[in-house]
Amino acid sequence: MTTPTRTPYRSRLHPARAGFGRLLHAEWTKFRTVRAWPVVLGVAVVAVVLVCRLGASGSSTSGGGPVTLGPGGERVVDVFRFTHRPLTGDGSVTVRVTGLRSADGKGIEPWAKAGVIVKQNLDEGSRYAAVVATPAHGIRMQWNFTHDTAGSASDIATTPHWLRLTRSGQHLTGYESADGRTWSKIEDVRLPGLPRTVQVGLLAATPAHNNVHRAFSGTSETYGGGTVTATYDRLALRGDSTATAWKSTDVGGPGPNGPAPNGPAPQDAQPGRTDVSPSGTYTLTGRGDIAPALDGPDMVQMSFQGVFVGVLFMVALGTLFVTGEYKRGLIRTTFTATPARLKVLAAKTTVIAAVTFTTGLLATAVGFSLAQRVLRHNGFAPPEFPDLSLLENPALRAVVGSAALLSLVAVLALGVAAVLRNSAGTIATVVALVILPQILSFAFPLPAAQWLLRVTPAAAFAIQQGVTRYPQVKVNCLPESGCYPLSPWNGFAVLAAYAAAALLLAAWRLRRRDA
Amino acid sequence: MRWLHAEWTKLRTLPSTWWLLGSTVLLTVAVGAAAASSLTTGVCPSPDACHEDTVKLSLTGVWLGQATCLVLGVLSMGSEYGTGTVRTTLSAMPQRRRLLAAKAAVLALLTAATGAVAITAALWTAHLVLPVESPTLRATAGSVLILTLVALLGLALATLLRDTAAAATLGLGLLYVVPLLADLLGSPVWQHRLNRWTPMPAALSIQATRDLDRLPIAPWPGLGVLAAYAAGLLVAGGVAFGLRDA
Repeated sequence: MTTPTRTPYRSRLHPARAGFGRLLHAEWTKFRTVRAWPVVLGVAVVAVVLVCRLGASGSSTSGGGPVTLGPGGERVVDVFRFTHRPLTGDGSVTVRVTGLRSADGKGIEPWAKAGVIVKQNLDEGSRYAAVVATPAHGIRMQWNFTHDTAGSASDIATTPHWLRLTRSGQHLTGYESADGRTWSKIEDVRLPGLPRTVQVGLLAATPAHNNVHRAFSGTSETYGGGTVTATYDRLALRGDSTATAWKSTDVGGPGPNGPAPNGPAPQDAQPGRTDVSPSGTYTLTGRGDIAPALDGPDMVQMSFQGVFVGVLFMVALGTLFVTGEYKRGLIRTTFTATPARLKVLAAKTTVIAAVTFTTGLLATAVGFSLAQRVLRHNGFAPPEFPDLSLLENPALRAVVGSAALLSLVAVLALGVAAVLRNSAGTIATVVALVILPQILSFAFPLPAAQWLLRVTPAAAFAIQQGVTRYPQVKVNCLPESGCYPLSPWNGFAVLAAYAAAALLLAAWRLRRRDA
Repeated sequence: MRWLHAEWTKLRTLPSTWWLLGSTVLLTVAVGAAAASSLTTGVCPSPDACHEDTVKLSLTGVWLGQATCLVLGVLSMGSEYGTGTVRTTLSAMPQRRRLLAAKAAVLALLTAATGAVAITAALWTAHLVLPVESPTLRATAGSVLILTLVALLGLALATLLRDTAAAATLGLGLLYVVPLLADLLGSPVWQHRLNRWTPMPAALSIQATRDLDRLPIAPWPGLGVLAAYAAGLLVAGGVAFGLRDA
């Protein structure tokens, strides 16, 4: 008797050659068909939007008086002692700075300024370009508040230094020299909108002292106005001037009508001084700063408190997308169907990243818009506060960045879950990594807090910052006022690095270990 | 007694239990030491001349240690639902409330013992780094109690939700995200309310040894808030456990 031979059924598709597209489809089906997960996504969107809105409604402001806006529309500080003459047409001003020292006994601020300036007029916030000497940052050329170019690192405390500013049409060129004979150019800038007649002269300014001491029980900031004295000689003006004598003004300071709104507080509003000796030495005493104002609240960041809640949901989803398969044994079926395990990991990562990014974007965009509306209603309105558009930076960066942050957190959770294969352990690990550093940074001594916000995934929340930080303004970066030590994209890169490391570890474990 | 023994055997033989307990000790000590070493002796030459609450600083590790304790509590119930052991357990011991009580007792004893080790080790390590004031009994015992109560909170959440992931997420949200929002909230009134009436910031006031008048809530009532959350949820979990299918 012969048994009939039968060829067993074999799929004509080689398993390893199953396209990535079909794998993505398979993973998407797995995600879609677990009834709880789309619900969790929906709840996450609602929770993020609600907390964003509620968080914003807790903040209100009474306006805070008029503000000075710079030529670019940004808030600026424009307060300094100015000894000036009008200049019509082209010309140049040259001076030797012989000293810059504190006039009030306190230490001198690193960004105190002495130098030459060409300014549109004597109003606060008008266009300008200046070449200044600073105690700690060498010679700088600065213009229109937000721009700053470094010159030589010459120390004005030890050696006098020559500065020159030349106007030619709309072009202003800054030069410096150690001896008054060989000049080196710092920068040539164009200031559109500069009138034919401008004010040129000498300046003296220093930002306020602002020191932070933080102990476990609280933060204390000591804040006080400083005064500096700058000395000059060999002042020379070339060009047509309608006046023959130098006049002095406290720009933004106490004028005939009392102190200007942005000037020093009334109790210490002493006017600046300018003394001219017969030998041609100019001594200017003044206070204030010519710089962007960075003390206001960050309206962008205030609108994203809901993202912290969103993180929780994303962690749970990323984790369950892997551990759910291990719990039910589905992972064995998955790997039988697709033996290329790394492809499965890649498909899973792609699906979870895409799903969480899309929902995250919806949540952050709606949450941001609602929060902005509430904030505007609570007094954060133009002109004191900017009118932020969703489609312009920094709001756009913060909205898209927050969605990407949520997505990366889910990917991080997925990677950790593939390593640990345990839901509770994974969720605890990722939440502790992302959320806990924030809480600890409010309580730790400042250096430790800033270090924590640099090296943990929590650094990524820097992407929500809307305030541009300028190197030419010293700010105290306090975590409780929402400041992150890293720049937005660098902070985001830290989280990306963590997610990548988790995925690599997961790939290694998946290949080495039984399912 | 046999109930306790059965629960002890189940908890003891979960592989994750010892991992979690070990990491509770390790993390509590490591974070405490790191926090203490962030202060140089230049800033704090002696306890009296130091502006920091050094005891509280060396107990910072509780922030992290509570996460592992929560997971332990969640898993002590959640793993039974995850694997289906709960049905066997209930066939052998049908009195559900007594079962939950036995589970809670074993879990509380185990976390309290581990917590005591962790807190003592953390204080001792911090002492090596920094001249720490002699810790008050309130701060020490209170920190051990925090860890124990958080584990019970995890047990209660897992009993209520019957799912490990959901319980862990909810528990961690309660412990971490709520205090974070409280810190960032613009309105001082709500900030104060959240700091007073949510488990974590309130309970941690027990660690303070100085500036007690600046705390949002007094130390023992603060711990009481956490205890109330844990007890309330445990009672709710017990009722739900008695009424529902396994």
